[in-house]
Amino acid sequence: MNPVYTPLRKLSESIKNREVSPVELAETFLERLEEHGPTLNAVVTLTKERAIKQAKRAEEEIKKGKVKGPLHGIPWGGKDLLATAGIPTTWGATPFKDRVFDYDATVVRKLEDAGAVLLAKLAMIELAGGMGYRQPNASFTGPCATPWSQGHWSGGSSSGSGAAVGAGLVPFAIGSETWGSILSPANNCGVSGLRPTYGRVSRHGAMALSWTLDKLGPLCQTADCCGIVLEAVAGHDPKDRTTSKRPYRYALKRDGLRVAVPKGVTDGVAEPVSRNFDEAMRAVERFAEVEEIEFPEFPYEAVTRTILNAEAASAFDEFTERGLARGLTAPECRYGPYSRTAVLAKDYLKALRLRERMARIAEDVMEQYDAVAAPSRGTTVPEIDKEFRNVTPGTTRDIMGALGNGAGLPAISVPSGFDGEGLPTGIQFMGRAYGENGVLSVAVEYQSRTKWHMMHPDRFTP
Amino acid sequence: MDSEEAETLFSLVKEKYGDKITEEELDEVKKAVERIVETSMELRKVELGNWDEPFSVFKPYRRDDV
Repeated sequence: MNPVYTPLRKLSESIKNREVSPVELAETFLERLEEHGPTLNAVVTLTKERAIKQAKRAEEEIKKGKVKGPLHGIPWGGKDLLATAGIPTTWGATPFKDRVFDYDATVVRKLEDAGAVLLAKLAMIELAGGMGYRQPNASFTGPCATPWSQGHWSGGSSSGSGAAVGAGLVPFAIGSETWGSILSPANNCGVSGLRPTYGRVSRHGAMALSWTLDKLGPLCQTADCCGIVLEAVAGHDPKDRTTSKRPYRYALKRDGLRVAVPKGVTDGVAEPVSRNFDEAMRAVERFAEVEEIEFPEFPYEAVTRTILNAEAASAFDEFTERGLARGLTAPECRYGPYSRTAVLAKDYLKALRLRERMARIAEDVMEQYDAVAAPSRGTTVPEIDKEFRNVTPGTTRDIMGALGNGAGLPAISVPSGFDGEGLPTGIQFMGRAYGENGVLSVAVEYQSRTKWHMMHPDRFTP
Repeated sequence: MDSEEAETLFSLVKEKYGDKITEEELDEVKKAVERIVETSMELRKVELGNWDEPFSVFKPYRRDDV
């Protein structure tokens, strides 16, 4: 069997049935990472030694009939902000390019416990975009391209996680999102990307940009794969006090799905994105009850942006004071951190006080629905060599992103079609807090009726 | 936007970090400070009660507190 672009469920069956071995899988994907990773600027470090060791162990265990679960023997890649013992963890930034931790992030350990095989640390925007980047060339590994076009951007900040999955270089990847960093690469690379509820997945060992906004989540071939990976990495972690004690089991709801669409959600959105969204909603209407909703006027973006600015200023205080920003790649990131020191304490606290009101608004409006649907991004995929506008928080109105991240809500982006240039567009389904299974149910059903997630760029298709 | 507040805050940033930023970059920093003040103004327009607490609960720590 050809494992490239094979969804996790089928890949796992093939391992169990001995059609393919974990070592063969690791070797196949390592070769692809070596061959195509540099073309896309998607990879920071190959973890070959660790991968072969883990794959051999998985092979032995599976031979003995000790199958740990659906990720046993499956290769993956991690955004290079996840600590990995003895392997560089660069945060995408020149000042940290030689830094090595002596421990694994909890999510890395959990995937190891599940028998998954770490192949690579994947490229990312420097410091997860926390310094205010305005262009794709904001990483010491260079601008990351979408597998669909060498001249267009992968999205970020989980750039390599999106590109590597989209090019079939890894079966799945872990990314992180503070505001848009999973949904954007999922959209631009034509893959499925899940932002879990805040606190669903431990952040221990992951770079902090904004303690109360950061989330870790999977990027995969399908929404179903995202559910499988989430179940493996979710759960309470004493090393991250913000993790929830609510257990998570991936389970789909088949009937009675309800989806809401915010009024005017495609106003100002690029025409191909809007057209594909409308078509996607026609598919959703065939299996779910769809209603229009309206979010009340509220300074959603001001709340989330103020929290992000203030927490990022504090998280990178030492970095800023030492003038280390000077070593960053994008010119705008070299002075980006200084303005944030101007956020007043009273305004940060006001944002935190308003956050509760915002969370209650979300619950009031969304309680009756499994998902709220919207285009994943308002624009088509940007060109790789130009400064962009309207793709980062703060440059356009992004109520779904501000509310979703500010209130810590889960969302998934799945492919919804292509624009005239053959570049992917996406649709997002956002749920109430801890409502991952609702958004996954809608996304899985949507993908069972559409073909977009099964289309892959010719140049990477074996 | 309160331009006086933005100017004051920018002066503080310039005073503290001016040696780390070029003249050209300072213009960009000034614009960014203005955006921060603009954002803060949006927050300040919303009225809250004295009892409306930040949505983060501090919990005293004990090692044996699971």
